[in-house]
Amino acid sequence: MDYQLTEQERQFQKDVADFLQEQIAPRTAGFDQCPRGEINDRMRENLKTLANQNLLGAGINDDRLDLIQVYLAGEEIARACASTFLSARSSVYLCGGALALFGTPNQKERYIPALKSADKIGAIAYSEDAAGSDISAIGTIARRDGDAWLISGKKHIVINAPIADVFVVLAYTEPDAGAETGMSFFLVERNTPGLSVGEPLDTMGVRGVPLASLTLANCRCTEVLGGAAGNGHQQFEQLMTMGCVGITALCVGIGTACMEISTRHAKERRAFGRQIGKFQDVGFKLSDMFTYNDLGRMLGIRAACALNNHEDDAVILAACAKLFASEAVTKIVNWGMQVFAGHGYLKGSDIERLYRDARFAEICEGTSEIQRALISRHELDRFQQV
Amino acid sequence: MDFSLTPEQKIFRDTVYRYGRDEIAPLCEEADLKGEFSFEIWNKLGEMGILGLPLPEELGGGGADIVTCCLAGEALGHAGVDGGSLLAWGAHTYLCACNIHDFGTEEQKRTYIPKLASGEWIGCMGLTEPGSGSDAASMRTTATKKGDRYILNGSKTFITNAPVADVFVVFANADRSKKHEGITAFIIEKDTPGLSTGKPFHKMGCRCSSTSEVFFEDCEVPQENVLGGEGGGWLIALSGVEWDRCTLLSPMLGAALCNLDLCARYANERHQFNRPIREFQAIQRRIADMKVFIEASRLAIYRVASSKDNGTMLNPLQAAVSKVYAGDVGFEMASEAVQVFGGYGFMHEYPVERNFRDSKLAAIGGGTSDIMRMIVSRIMLMQ
Repeated sequence: MDYQLTEQERQFQKDVADFLQEQIAPRTAGFDQCPRGEINDRMRENLKTLANQNLLGAGINDDRLDLIQVYLAGEEIARACASTFLSARSSVYLCGGALALFGTPNQKERYIPALKSADKIGAIAYSEDAAGSDISAIGTIARRDGDAWLISGKKHIVINAPIADVFVVLAYTEPDAGAETGMSFFLVERNTPGLSVGEPLDTMGVRGVPLASLTLANCRCTEVLGGAAGNGHQQFEQLMTMGCVGITALCVGIGTACMEISTRHAKERRAFGRQIGKFQDVGFKLSDMFTYNDLGRMLGIRAACALNNHEDDAVILAACAKLFASEAVTKIVNWGMQVFAGHGYLKGSDIERLYRDARFAEICEGTSEIQRALISRHELDRFQQV
Repeated sequence: MDFSLTPEQKIFRDTVYRYGRDEIAPLCEEADLKGEFSFEIWNKLGEMGILGLPLPEELGGGGADIVTCCLAGEALGHAGVDGGSLLAWGAHTYLCACNIHDFGTEEQKRTYIPKLASGEWIGCMGLTEPGSGSDAASMRTTATKKGDRYILNGSKTFITNAPVADVFVVFANADRSKKHEGITAFIIEKDTPGLSTGKPFHKMGCRCSSTSEVFFEDCEVPQENVLGGEGGGWLIALSGVEWDRCTLLSPMLGAALCNLDLCARYANERHQFNRPIREFQAIQRRIADMKVFIEASRLAIYRVASSKDNGTMLNPLQAAVSKVYAGDVGFEMASEAVQVFGGYGFMHEYPVERNFRDSKLAAIGGGTSDIMRMIVSRIMLMQ
């Protein structure tokens, strides 16, 4: 048993951090505030920067993900720029991850190297206007048409939709069979006739993420992810479980950024003749930031390790990590705002951006409510009477 | 990172859990309500080899590593063994016997360890004083050198096991001009003239551990009973912190596991409005939060333990995280467990009630949560 990072992991973390703090972090504030029309190009540039340093797709090997690597790289990317993390993650870990885990050799070969080099950008489209936590309620349907499928439906909020070259799209292939066996993921290229991307959507936080809806109107598609239809729901659940590790990395990255600027401010800012950090009500907030962020990281790495090793309780550990870290970062940025007080509330301040960015974590990819339902059911079922 | 337990560790944990559940837990309710140290429980812990667990085998101990010690604490708490009995064990084994082992001379080890390891003798450690708690360096108990003896004067308070102890490891200042560098540890046997203990306190929780004041009135201690050399006491006191942040917290983690099991079972059995209360989200929320707490505090506690096993220097930030989280959130979770049981949870006969009272100690004993936050914020502001 050893609960500390290895020297090698620590070095990897440091190298990644140094690069990102120099190359990505300085652009983050501008990204948040820039005219919306500039987002797409700025994100392409950031993804290319990551790719050139081999950071896009760290941890993706042929047909498996090393989630500890994914976590460590992810946390540092999120710390430098939360939007860039989400965009990179949708491209390489969700779209690319789906390909790595479930794709045919040919599908992998055609897309994964291109996604890792940012020559292509990927996206994953599953939720809809009326189907979020309850994914079985999606209305997108694929009908057989000879060798191909005709997909119709509308995906509501798709990260990377404005810039993606390839989409992994969830649809019912056999609606009467129900979600468990009646869903499939499709690989759909951007230029496929019938596929259209909506107007860019604007958001409260993570405003650098290119975001839009996706409409499929009799979109002709020949490629089911992995070749065989009917595995979509199970693949979706697996991706969401691994996704918990990614969102935990997002949270801890934002939490670290918040803790750093708050600590610096608490040292520099003076009131009543001393550093404000010397007042316990400020200093203890810094301490609590550290505690919750540190435990979020431990839970994220624990879940990553459990998933890497296919441990029995990996799904629950992943849910615990996502739930803990997302609620923790909400608290952390709130404390951060309190440390900065009036200065932090000004538009354009770093804490103001982090405050908005952090709020995404509790509502994305399985809200806190859904995670609690999952975790409590698991615990309650241990004592279910038959 | 490697979070895995060895097969031996897993078997050990399960064995201790079953033993605790079958042999000890049934005794705890009555002992807790009496508020007295239970020699019956003590002897059961001794029979299982728990009392000398980390001490070397050649001195009668179990030769276990720290992670294994934490597993024992976790398993016993999980089994429903009360926090007081486990606190008595912690004070005896980690704070008294381990300090003698780690800092004592060969002679001291030979004299004290075997009897402490078997539980024949009960040990305690005296650091806190009426006027010095978190600020331990300000202690007023003095040790004045007189020939080959030290004369101790002063008093200690909140000393776990003092009323039943045979061996006391106590701290006194041998040279107050040197402040904390004058602090010296002594091993004192119970019949030493000038040493006396007060009446056991009535406590909110951990009631099976017996706690009292300790008085020194011209208490003469021979020089060979100095532990760790004159002025070496501060280091020994600080080393207690490492135990506090892992082995002494592991029973609290165990109690949370115990509560989670009790609540999950009850939520399946208890029906209101024609359905089991497990179907209400207000109950589900508490169950989920307990589980998250357990996983997070487990990581914090075993991180400290495994670092100690691996010879990594104690990271004060990691140690404080363990204490502050297990202490503060552990108490909140114990309160939620009472809430799941409603009126029944308020009754003595339900273990969630006792776990609630016991859990409050984790945020107080061995450095309060406030002190933990002070340590962390100071380090952050220095960096």
